[in-house]
Amino acid sequence: MAAPIRLSVPGTLRYRPIAVRAVAEAARLVSCSPHQDPRELDPLALDVRHPFDTAVVSAFMEIFNNIAIHAYQRHGGGTIDIDITLTANDILIEVKDNGRAFDLDNVVPLPTDLDEDALPEGGMGIHIAKTMLDDMTYEPGPPNQWRLYKRLPPAQVAVGRS
Amino acid sequence: MAPFEVKRSNEEMTLMVRGSLDINSAPALAEEIDKIVATRPSKVVVDLSMLDLIDSSGVAALVKLYKGVRNVSGAMTISGARDQPLAIFKLLRMDKVFNL
Repeated sequence: MAAPIRLSVPGTLRYRPIAVRAVAEAARLVSCSPHQDPRELDPLALDVRHPFDTAVVSAFMEIFNNIAIHAYQRHGGGTIDIDITLTANDILIEVKDNGRAFDLDNVVPLPTDLDEDALPEGGMGIHIAKTMLDDMTYEPGPPNQWRLYKRLPPAQVAVGRS
Repeated sequence: MAPFEVKRSNEEMTLMVRGSLDINSAPALAEEIDKIVATRPSKVVVDLSMLDLIDSSGVAALVKLYKGVRNVSGAMTISGARDQPLAIFKLLRMDKVFNL
């Protein structure tokens, strides 16, 4: 197992793109997804087309948002510490903050019958993160700690190593 | 290049969204959405073919547009959603509502 990738950023949304890019590139090291043709791609754009990369990045973005908005109340004042541990077929992202604790049990589930009248305009972030990952845990602190885990499906491991 | 662009014709309005629609870019789009809804459009097409990433804040902005257009008796459709944005709409089971 390689040493963890460690990143610490101020706990505001201004630094979100840096953290998201680091996580996206880390996910790509596991999925081994091919780069898009550089002639067609904005060199600054993120390429998360692979389902594994999609899942990891989508979940992480929501957790970062949650920390910046709920833990640090959009004012910052602390850091978001990110540890990314990779193996050949999985990724573990541990995210710590020293802001207000979040009540994960108080998150309202999305309606099961989603029609035009019931489209939600909020409360989707935790649902996205939890559904995209194989495991997600949260321990209130300080420091508060999120643990995001995603495994590469066996078929995709074989493809990635061929 | 601007992250979003509005084109108007006699028949419909097209909102093109590029790059990443997320918690940092959604507030600016929300302002544009208010302007779009204020014109009481009969049809709005949201073109996501150039959109690479979306988060829950971006989805919320598009839901706001959808509801706003419906409230003025118009219709909104989404076209061109792909990759991560399409996966998010499917996860939220909005793909059927938006006919994706």
